[in-house]
Amino acid sequence: MRGKFLAAGIFIALGVVAQGFWTPADAKVSLEKCTICHGKPEFRKILVDGKIRDLFATEDSLKGSVHEKKTCVDCHFDVSEIPHRQRPKRVTCTHCHYKGNAEGAPQSDAYLEYFGSVHGKAIAKGNTKAPLCQDCHGSHAIFKVKDPGSHVSRLSVAETCGRCHIEIYAQYKTSIHGVALARGITEAPACTGCHGEHKIYDHKDPKSSVYATHVAEQCSTCHASVLIMSKFGIEAEQVATYQNSFHGVASGFGSRTVANCASCHGIHDIRPPEDPLSMVNPKNVPTTCGKCHPGANPNFALGKMHVDSHSKESGIIYYTALFFKYLTIGTMLALIAHIFLDMYGRTRRLRGE
Amino acid sequence: MSMNDKKDPKRQTLEQEIKTTVDEETAGLDPSEAGKIREKVRARVLEEVERERRIRTAKERREEERRRREEKRRERLHEEGETFERFNRNFRFQHIVMFTSVIILIVTGMPIKFPEFVLSRFLVGFWGGIHNSTLVHRIGAVMLIYFMVHHLLYTVFSRRGRRDLVLLIPTPKDARDAVQNVRHFLGKTEEKPRFGRFSYIEKFDYWAVYWGCVIMIGSGLFLWFEGIVLKYFPKYILDVALEMHSDEAMLATMAIVIWHFYNVHFNPDRFPGTLMWWHGRISEHEMKEEHPLEYEEIMAKREKQEGAEGPGR
Repeated sequence: MRGKFLAAGIFIALGVVAQGFWTPADAKVSLEKCTICHGKPEFRKILVDGKIRDLFATEDSLKGSVHEKKTCVDCHFDVSEIPHRQRPKRVTCTHCHYKGNAEGAPQSDAYLEYFGSVHGKAIAKGNTKAPLCQDCHGSHAIFKVKDPGSHVSRLSVAETCGRCHIEIYAQYKTSIHGVALARGITEAPACTGCHGEHKIYDHKDPKSSVYATHVAEQCSTCHASVLIMSKFGIEAEQVATYQNSFHGVASGFGSRTVANCASCHGIHDIRPPEDPLSMVNPKNVPTTCGKCHPGANPNFALGKMHVDSHSKESGIIYYTALFFKYLTIGTMLALIAHIFLDMYGRTRRLRGE
Repeated sequence: MSMNDKKDPKRQTLEQEIKTTVDEETAGLDPSEAGKIREKVRARVLEEVERERRIRTAKERREEERRRREEKRRERLHEEGETFERFNRNFRFQHIVMFTSVIILIVTGMPIKFPEFVLSRFLVGFWGGIHNSTLVHRIGAVMLIYFMVHHLLYTVFSRRGRRDLVLLIPTPKDARDAVQNVRHFLGKTEEKPRFGRFSYIEKFDYWAVYWGCVIMIGSGLFLWFEGIVLKYFPKYILDVALEMHSDEAMLATMAIVIWHFYNVHFNPDRFPGTLMWWHGRISEHEMKEEHPLEYEEIMAKREKQEGAEGPGR
């Protein structure tokens, strides 16, 4: 009985050790085989549209990346013949990246959000230009988001998105957010700051974080924070004053035609008001307001836009509010006092005093 | 009833019976006096008999009770004396237009001032979104403007309107009345101030509506036609108009809900409210109580008229 157990134990131990021994050797073999061709720097393919597909990949390709310990066929598992009879398929990341995987990939279901996103839906519809995971995260050089070398790091994600969204990238690059980020101010948002990471939706989709009625909320995640805004000398009250204005109230009640932050300040081309190209530069205000209020003239720019009737800087508006405040308090106090005196008198007479 | 009585043979024997009994009792009296007594007794007995006849079933009894209540009410009304027309039909119409428009304006306006309030979302949703809500607000605005124009024309071209306007002008007496009223509330004096057609309270209400209408319609029109306004005025004028519109709305709403509702609804004399806004009539009792000077004036005028007509008759 005991002998049987021992034998089984030895057998299992051998198996474990053998696996430990053989796997690297196996990987080595695979890598060596692949680099016979892929290791040559000039190994590339000219495609029908004239583009060149670089097929160069060596041992170093994965070095330092999150997949450092993986080998070619771990991802390109459909490659079984050399030379390949068929063109190898694109790598499917979800083979390992799902919650509950045993491969050592992060336990996350974040990829699920991708399938509902505008990109995932485009792929499902058969749009070959829409991005898969590797189009944003990189194919061999995949690093953690915090790593500055990553394609999706705070500082480089805009460039990654800009590979397809070229015009928007150009606008963003010269906008206040783009310039600030380029200067290394990490509080400034890149694309993902507003649009989200995996769950990017079309701006006409009510689920989108930049849907007309969600824009104010999205901007306010940073712009309502005194902590962030005070660093750059921007007023954090702008959010509250917008929300109290008719535009803000109507937007809160679900109006999609009323102005949100982006309607006046621009979408990707947000610039500071001093910038002559800014949509909210006093010179451009008539044009900006004129988008909704036909015939807007320079009078639109006279006076503060984000008016707070409680702050003294609002001038005449502040004094109007002050006048009405005391008028209301005075009148109501007198009227309520009269009511109570009347009731007091009635009570007295009822008691027969 | 009398027709039936004569036809009914039973009734005739009854009458005969009454006659003999009363004649016996009043034998020693003057014939005319006796006749009067006989008539009274006859009426009383007939009424009693009639009532007995009618109360046969529960349903009939209920009807009877209602009839008696009605009679009682009529008697009391008679005690209170005649009623006077306080507000004519034109004025009542103006008031109805005004309060309808004000209710519409408050219901569609307040959600914009207090978007976070629980009811706001419901009130906006009731009209089908903010766009419709603002549309309804403009309908209310048109009604209020119509009321204002109607009232101005009324005060200019109607004799009653002109007379009322003159009576609504505040006078030193109003200040004295107010002081005396407060002293009366506090029990310092037993005498209530004697009001004319409009007490200082009513004068305040009237001019408060005037002020409110001017501010609300003025600033409201600015906000409605913001495109035209901005052609001639800078933007901050529009912001001032917005601030005025919002603040005066609050003041007006509070004045209506607290002050006006107390005076005409929650005041123990009036609770839960009179129908004067509908029929415009005031009883003699109320007239003597609340507008003694006007009452005296009417009485004096009537006496003078009767005196003038007297010799002719």
